[in-house]
Amino acid sequence: MAGLPMLSYGPVSGNSGPFFEDLAVGQEFTSPGRTVTETDIVIFAGLSGDYNVLHTDAEHMKSSLFGERIAHGLLGLSIEQGLASRGEPAAAHGMLSGLKWKFKGPIRIGDTVHVRSRIAAKKEGPDPTRGLVSVERELVNQLGEIVQEGETEHVVERRPK
Amino acid sequence: MSAAVPVQCFFEDVEVNVPLETPGITLTRAHVALFTGITGEAGPPDAETVPGLLPLCVSSGLGWRVPRPPLAVLAFMGFEWRFLAPVRVGDTIHSQSRTLIKRSMREGGVIIEERQIINQRNETVQTGRLTLLVARRPKA
Repeated sequence: MAGLPMLSYGPVSGNSGPFFEDLAVGQEFTSPGRTVTETDIVIFAGLSGDYNVLHTDAEHMKSSLFGERIAHGLLGLSIEQGLASRGEPAAAHGMLSGLKWKFKGPIRIGDTVHVRSRIAAKKEGPDPTRGLVSVERELVNQLGEIVQEGETEHVVERRPK
Repeated sequence: MSAAVPVQCFFEDVEVNVPLETPGITLTRAHVALFTGITGEAGPPDAETVPGLLPLCVSSGLGWRVPRPPLAVLAFMGFEWRFLAPVRVGDTIHSQSRTLIKRSMREGGVIIEERQIINQRNETVQTGRLTLLVARRPKA
C-alpha cells in the first residue's frame, strides 16, 4: 500500500473533552427549547409502565386542578436531561452520579420548556483520573415559570496527562 | 349505573416500614432506543450502557405490579437519588421499597419512600428517597 496517505481518525474511544479542568464554577448555560407533546406522554407511559390517571385519562383530568393530562414528573426530568446535554458540557460528557430534584409545577401538553444551568461546585472524584461536578438546573416553561429544579452531580474525566 | 371505582391505595392504607418487592424487567436495546428518542440525549459512550434515568423511570411502573393496589399519587414532589453502578443492556432489574415517613396534610398526606433498584446479581445499582403527595380515602 506504499504511496497511499495514512488516514488519521484520532483515538476511537478517546474523550475529546471538555475535561474536568475546562469547567469553572459559575459557568452558565441555556439549552434550546422543546415543546412537550401528547405523544411524549403516551410513549413515556408505555415505556415506564406508569399509567397514573394524571397522565392517561383526559376525561378524569377535566375535573382536576389541572384541567387536562399533565406530563409525568420523570418525563420532564428526562427531557431536561436531554436538553441539558445539548449545550452543557458536564451533562454531555459526565456520567450522572447523583440527583436532588423538586417538581414544582405541572408541564401541560403543548408547553415549551428549556433548561438554565450553572456549575455550582467542583470536587475530588472517585479516583485521580476523574472529578465531580455539581450543576444547578432549572426547567423553565414558556411563561418563565420554574416547573422543576435541583442539582445534578456528574463524574467528569480529567485531562489525560 | 355508575362506573366501578378503581381500587387504589390511599394515604390511610399506607403502612410504614413494610417492604415491597416488584417483579423484574429485562432492559433491552428497545428500551434504550425509545428512551433516548424521548430525551433526545446523545447516546452513552457505548451502546450497551443504559442511560442512568431509565431504570428509575421503569421502577415507577414496576411499583404498579406489587401485591398492593396502585398508590393514589396526587403529585411527585421531589427526590434524592444516587447512581451507584452502571446498568447494561440485558440486565434484569427490580425494585425494593418501603415507606419511611407518613405526614398528614390538609389535602392528603406526604409519604417519603426509600427505593433501591437491584440487578440480577443482587447488586444495588441505584437508590434514593422519593417524596410523594398521596390522596386521602374519599368520604363515603
